[in-house]
Order: sequence, then structure tokens, then C-alpha cells
Amino acid sequence: MSGFTPPFLLVTGLLLGGGAGFVMHRSDFCLAGMFRDLFLFRSTYKLRNLLLLVASSMTLFELARQLGLLPLYPFPLLGPASLTNLIGGGLFGVGMVLAGGCVVGTLYKLGSGSTVSAFALAGLLAGSALYAEMHPGVKALSAATTLFPGKLTVPQLLGVDPLLPVASLAVIASIYFLRWFRQGTWERPSFVAGYLQPWRAALILSLISLVSYVAVGMPLGITTSYAKIGGYLESLLFGAHMKGLAYFQSIPLDYRQPVTGAHLTGGPGPVLDAVALIQFPVIVGIVLGSAFSAARLHELRFQRRVPWRQCLSALVGGVAMGVASRIAPACNVWHLMGGLPILALQSLLFVAGLLPGAWLGSSLISRVVIR
Amino acid sequence: MTTITPQVIEFDICGQICPASLLVALREINRHVLKIKEGSIRLLIKTDNRDGTHTIPEAAYNMGLKVEVQKSESCYVITIAKR
Repeated sequence: MSGFTPPFLLVTGLLLGGGAGFVMHRSDFCLAGMFRDLFLFRSTYKLRNLLLLVASSMTLFELARQLGLLPLYPFPLLGPASLTNLIGGGLFGVGMVLAGGCVVGTLYKLGSGSTVSAFALAGLLAGSALYAEMHPGVKALSAATTLFPGKLTVPQLLGVDPLLPVASLAVIASIYFLRWFRQGTWERPSFVAGYLQPWRAALILSLISLVSYVAVGMPLGITTSYAKIGGYLESLLFGAHMKGLAYFQSIPLDYRQPVTGAHLTGGPGPVLDAVALIQFPVIVGIVLGSAFSAARLHELRFQRRVPWRQCLSALVGGVAMGVASRIAPACNVWHLMGGLPILALQSLLFVAGLLPGAWLGSSLISRVVIR
Repeated sequence: MTTITPQVIEFDICGQICPASLLVALREINRHVLKIKEGSIRLLIKTDNRDGTHTIPEAAYNMGLKVEVQKSESCYVITIAKR
């Protein structure tokens, strides 16, 4: 790895994470809430902003590809679709609603002082480490149920250039976006300080996602680092057992960094490798960006009195998300902001699982958790 | 003409998991909707959930009630009363 690569990835990650954390806090851009509110309150307002984010990212990615800015297309770490994407998506859907936020939502809410999110983060680390115990079985299931080997995206499956399906979907999405614009349903009345309308947040986040893809070679992703931290904590308690787990020895990331040309490798093992270099700064950036936003608005305050039932729900939800994001593999941010915009088959199956999972989670949180 | 002094029922949802503030608000509005409409009860919900300051007023307004949102230190106070 060249001397320029580590500081480049560190600064890029901090800036992208910081920007995402700030924007998400200002607009309360909660990806878990978008799916939860659809089932719990029959509200599609937030989900529309997610559609805008996906459509905008899809268009920007394709534009960048046409300009030759995306030499890695599809991006690294994507594999062929299998049943595990669907199962992972379903479990993730339940977990994110029970935790009160997804893997990124947990970070930006933690940054603004949420105690519940601290429990969710603890669950995420535990769940990521727990997955290592079931990795051989999940790997075998994934291999046995692989669909369309060698085909990673819908355009590859159809044997067409990505421009055709992307342009078609962009036109269809634009018709709906224009209709909602004419109905005046993009803007919502604001009562909070420093509010950023979610549609603006969606557009900014799609730009952040694009910069990540161009500069790092991949869209934003953070959950392999949760496995790293979980594995490190496990090594302190059960060192010999952790070292014997095949999952922590795997090196799924192996690519040439498009900007610096460095050959980067890394995996979930508790060592400082390329995964740590790419993802840790993003994690820290999101927490700091959100904390900065909250502090500027005088809304940074740690709550001590939280019902135990809600803390337990966040912990259980965090464990579910931790396990699910390794089964899937990867989290909702990776699939929604990265995979779906390039029509990755894995991401489509993940979302197909996420919907019933979020429905189940919504049912549980309203009947069992919040009483 | 007699003036009714409304009874104020207060809920502190600060720090609670999403979407506790909206669920609690909807539950309490449904429980007291007639008395809120006749002016004998006023709900006061304290939350730090920024999203709740949009969703709660929207739901309460659609049910024919008056809603006010005010910032109080690091939280927001949402008052639901007779329109």
C-alpha cells in the first residue's frame, strides 16, 4: 500500500461519514423509519425520499460510468444472488425496527446522545461476532442456493448495457416525482431548528454515495467493521476460540484502489487492514457529524431514564442486524444506497426480504415494546 | 359564559426509542379526544425526536385538533388542544 493511500482513505471516510451524519441528523433521515412507518402508520412520505435517493444515485452512478469514472463496475464485494440475501434482508428488517434505527441510523442517533442507540450498537457488535459461529452453514447454504452464477446485476442477467434499464427506470421515476412535486408533497411543514427537508437530504446523500464510489471504489459500507470490533472483543475473552473461526480468517476484499492504484485487501478479522482503513473513518465521521449538528442546535443530551423494555428491544434488534448483515451479506445502506442503484441482484433480494421483516418488526414494536 | 381551565396531561418521551413519541401521542389523543375537543383536557408531549415534531402535529391536525410546537432547552414540547 503506497504512502498516500492511508491518509487519502482516512480523510475521505471522515468527510463522507461526517457529511452523512450531519445531513441525517438535520433531516432525521431514518432508513428504518421509512419502512416501519409504511406498515405502522400507512405513511409513504419517508419512503418516497428513499425512492428519490435510489433513483438519483442510479442516475449519478450511470453518468459517472459513462464518463469512465467507475472502472470497478459492479463494485467489489458483490457476489451472485442467493437465498441468504433474502433471509438476511428479512432478519435485518425485523432488527432495524426493533433497534429503532439501522446500522447508520444507530450511529447518527448515538451521535446526538441516544442511550437506546448505544444498546443497539452493543447488539450489533455482539451479533456480528455471533455470526462467525454460523458462518460455515450460511456459506454452504449460499453456495447451494446461488442463482444465476456469474451474473451480479439485472443488466448482466439480461445481457444489456446498464444504460437501457437505468434510463427507463429514471424516466418512470421522474414521472412520479413530478406528480408529487405538483401535488406539493415533497416539502413538509417544519417546526424544528435547522431542519433539512428530506428530499434535499436524499439528493445530498446520493452525491456522498457517488463520491464514495468514485474515490474509494465502493459505496458506503460499515458492517464488516462491526464484525472486526466484535471479533476483537471476543479475542479478549475467548482468544483461542476466536482464532479457530474460519470467518475471521476470510479476506473477501481484494481490489485495486481506483484513485491511488494501491492493491487493497481486508476482511472481518480483528486486524488493521483495508476494511478498517475504509470503514472506521466513516463510522467515526457519522457519529461526529451528527454530534456536531446536535451540538450546534443545543440538542446534544444523553438520556438516562429509558424504559428497560426499549433498551432490551434495541439490544435484541442490534444482535439481529449484526447477524443479518453478515448473512445478507452487508447492511441496508450498502444495498439501498449502493447495490440497488446498479440493480444488483443481491440487493433486490435483500429488499424483498427487508419488507416483510420490517412489517414483523413494526408489529412487535407497537404491541410488545412501546406500551 | 363559563371558562373551562383545561387539565394538562404531560408525557415525557425524551430519549425513548423511535417511534415512541408518535405512538404515545396517538394513543393518548384517541383516549381523550372528546375531552380535548370540548376543551377540558390538553396534552403536553415532551420529546427529543425531531421526526415526532412533524408526525404528531400532522396526525393531531387531521383529527381536528390544535397543535403547537415549542423548543424547550434540548427538547421540543408539543401541545395538543381544542382548535
